[in-house]
Amino acid sequence: MANTNQGSLAPTNPLVAMRFRPAWTYIDGIRDFGEFFCRTTFAESDVADRACIVIQETLENAIKYSSPEPDSELELVICASPHHIEFSVTSKPNHAHLQSLKDELERLRMVDPEQAFIAALERAQREPEASARLGLARMRYEGGVELKLSDAPDGRIRFTAAGRL
Amino acid sequence: MSRFEALSVPNVDSLRIELHPPQRLKLDGRITSQEPGKVLGGFFRQVHDAAIEAKLTAFELDVTELKFVNSSSIRLFLDWAGWVKANMPNGYKLRILTTRKFTWQKTSFVAITSLAAGAVEVQVAD
Repeated sequence: MANTNQGSLAPTNPLVAMRFRPAWTYIDGIRDFGEFFCRTTFAESDVADRACIVIQETLENAIKYSSPEPDSELELVICASPHHIEFSVTSKPNHAHLQSLKDELERLRMVDPEQAFIAALERAQREPEASARLGLARMRYEGGVELKLSDAPDGRIRFTAAGRL
Repeated sequence: MSRFEALSVPNVDSLRIELHPPQRLKLDGRITSQEPGKVLGGFFRQVHDAAIEAKLTAFELDVTELKFVNSSSIRLFLDWAGWVKANMPNGYKLRILTTRKFTWQKTSFVAITSLAAGAVEVQVAD
């Protein structure tokens, strides 16, 4: 599975944009829609499968670590160009999580996606009581995307997963 | 009554679990709950213990209809592989029957197998 980091596409021209409350119960429906959308929009056979992984893991992370404010919401945007696809989720995270997410992304950036996934599995095996933390490594390896984090308005962050079509 | 016969299959949303004692477990559906280990982790461990008690040489985990899992669920299979590996050279071999239909299966199960060489084997059904 190839892995690319082709920079960001303009999120101002999305193919899909959704805003919703950060609730776990929405993930299955949104992932299934993302799969349907990618399967019917793109000819490349593996895009829909990769979309499932990326949408599931980004939303799980965003929901687990969202700030518990009553007006909290998530925004999922899917953009594409002729050769690339980009998924971004904007959320307001709790501060403790934000730093650990930045640290984890920095560590991952330096390692080949397959090696990073194996290393994450080894860590999960060594630390059975700890949180698995496999999601980011899985997105890069199985989803074929590179990950980045950027600031968004109002103290929010935008988590972006971008890869080839 | 063997341990297998005493096992009770748990109810998990969007997942059908078929236990065919004494050598086969089939999973059909999706595992995407927030804490899948709470229910399935204990059940997999019971199946493992029953397989050890029955002195099986092999046990088949059929995931050919397991359409999707989240990363927390991958850990369940990783744990199971670890239990089997810890029993080597005694115990049984875990054979995971996969499908090409769902692309995540190849990458996830091959990676898990690489950490439990000799204890776990991945077979492709199609």
